[in-house]
Amino acid sequence: MYLITLAEDMGKIFVKYWDMFLIKGLSATILLSLLTVVCGTLLGAIFAVIKISRVKALSWIISAVVEVIRGTPMLLQLYISTFLIPVIVPAMNELENKKLICIALTLILNSAAYVSEIIRSGIEAVDKGQSEAARSLGLTSRTAMLQIVFPQAIKNILPALGNEFITVIKETSLASTFYVGELMTQYHKIVGTTHNPLPILMIIGIIYFVLNFVLSKGLGVFERRMKASA
Amino acid sequence: MHNSENIIEIKGLYKSFGKLEVLKGVSTEIKKGEVVAVIGASGSGKSTILRCMNLLEAPTFGEVWMQGQLLTPVDPYLHPEVIGLSNTYKRLIAGGLSHAEAIAQIKSEDLLNEKFAVAEGKAYKAKIKEIYKENHIDINLARQKMGMVFQQFNLFNNKTVLDNITLAPLKTGLYGGTKAEAKAVAQKRALELLERIGLAEKADSYPSTLSGGQKQRIAIVRALAMNPDVILFDEPTSALDPEMVGEVLDLMKRLANEGMTMVIVTHEMGFAREVADRIIFVDEGVIAEQGTPAEVFGNPQNPRLKEFLSKVL
Repeated sequence: MYLITLAEDMGKIFVKYWDMFLIKGLSATILLSLLTVVCGTLLGAIFAVIKISRVKALSWIISAVVEVIRGTPMLLQLYISTFLIPVIVPAMNELENKKLICIALTLILNSAAYVSEIIRSGIEAVDKGQSEAARSLGLTSRTAMLQIVFPQAIKNILPALGNEFITVIKETSLASTFYVGELMTQYHKIVGTTHNPLPILMIIGIIYFVLNFVLSKGLGVFERRMKASA
Repeated sequence: MHNSENIIEIKGLYKSFGKLEVLKGVSTEIKKGEVVAVIGASGSGKSTILRCMNLLEAPTFGEVWMQGQLLTPVDPYLHPEVIGLSNTYKRLIAGGLSHAEAIAQIKSEDLLNEKFAVAEGKAYKAKIKEIYKENHIDINLARQKMGMVFQQFNLFNNKTVLDNITLAPLKTGLYGGTKAEAKAVAQKRALELLERIGLAEKADSYPSTLSGGQKQRIAIVRALAMNPDVILFDEPTSALDPEMVGEVLDLMKRLANEGMTMVIVTHEMGFAREVADRIIFVDEGVIAEQGTPAEVFGNPQNPRLKEFLSKVL
């Protein structure tokens, strides 16, 4: 019986607040995730290149950052950054979206830490013989990297990067603690007026699931195509 | 000082991996047109010698020369005139040692080790720099003329057979001309080479679709496409199924007959005996015995070589 009531409530709430779910919440979640993944991947790639190039001092700093980020909870990092970044950069206090920027920066750094490991291990997983063969023919290390190692590493990297994207989408929900407008923030807002949490949570759960399910199936197709291409 | 008739010359090669000393002073020359087979037990250091020749492994001490040009840094221990300029040498002479004694002591106690080299003075460093400048060649240029064939084939997995063969000639500008011209020449040459080994129809295949024997023959052809002066073979048949060993050895035999200079690390004693001009037996990081196949197989002197041959023949 309760399930029927729940379904009815979900229907009513969705009809009434669909724009908060789909227009505000979902778009904010997707935007925040995209921003995080794109910037995180770029930064992560830079981290990975520094670690592989064995510039010792820099590589040590990067390793330390990666370890700290991987070794502490993300929610804690978000709390710390919203307090710490405005102290370090006082100009931040003037900005309207201060919290959102702090949170985006934290998400990006966090993602970069994981992505750098994905890229590094993806490159290191390419058989050493491949670059040795290229070097033995007189190709420079740069050419060997660009022509032989990277194209093969990409095949190791992309699937893991897709998974990272899905993880990020789910992690952005933590940002709701700071009311930045993504899906979980909409829950806090709607529940304030309806006082009926479960239907709202179920709707949000369905949205997350559909989003990630479509994404992971899409990535699966992409992966198979890539494998077929050699 | 360096005979350019020698395609490769290695001098006083030492190589350690951490605490493990793999090579303990190896010197030899590979002459133009010579086919040299390097034999020895697993772990004797024979592959390391080969990999030091094209600097896939950097020797700890010693020098590698190719056609009169230096590939490694200058090893002061190989140049008495360099040692003679060092402050350590001057101190020992002042202490009453003869020239020969001083050099012997410096070598045996490794007194010019990089850690102490700072104290060796300007003349010493200038001489090293001078020798280096006069003789050194960029390793990438040297490798273009020193092909290598690997145990695991190492064809580029992300390239077709044709691209495997044409990549290095195109990227190193071997054929000159415009990009389109060079590409046409490279592809024509690659197809000719594939024709020679009867694999022209595989030009557009990816390595994953080939048998081990096909992969290795293509790897050999890939090295040939650079028109090398010497090819190094690192156990080229060890990873092959027995029925494919023959096709690879046949191709190598053809190259030998055409006068290609070859250094072959191998376990195929029959092949070594038949094809090689010289056999080098490596044991515990040194060349324990070398000579013609008739000498090494017919009348071995070294007890370790006798033992080795009794096991493998």
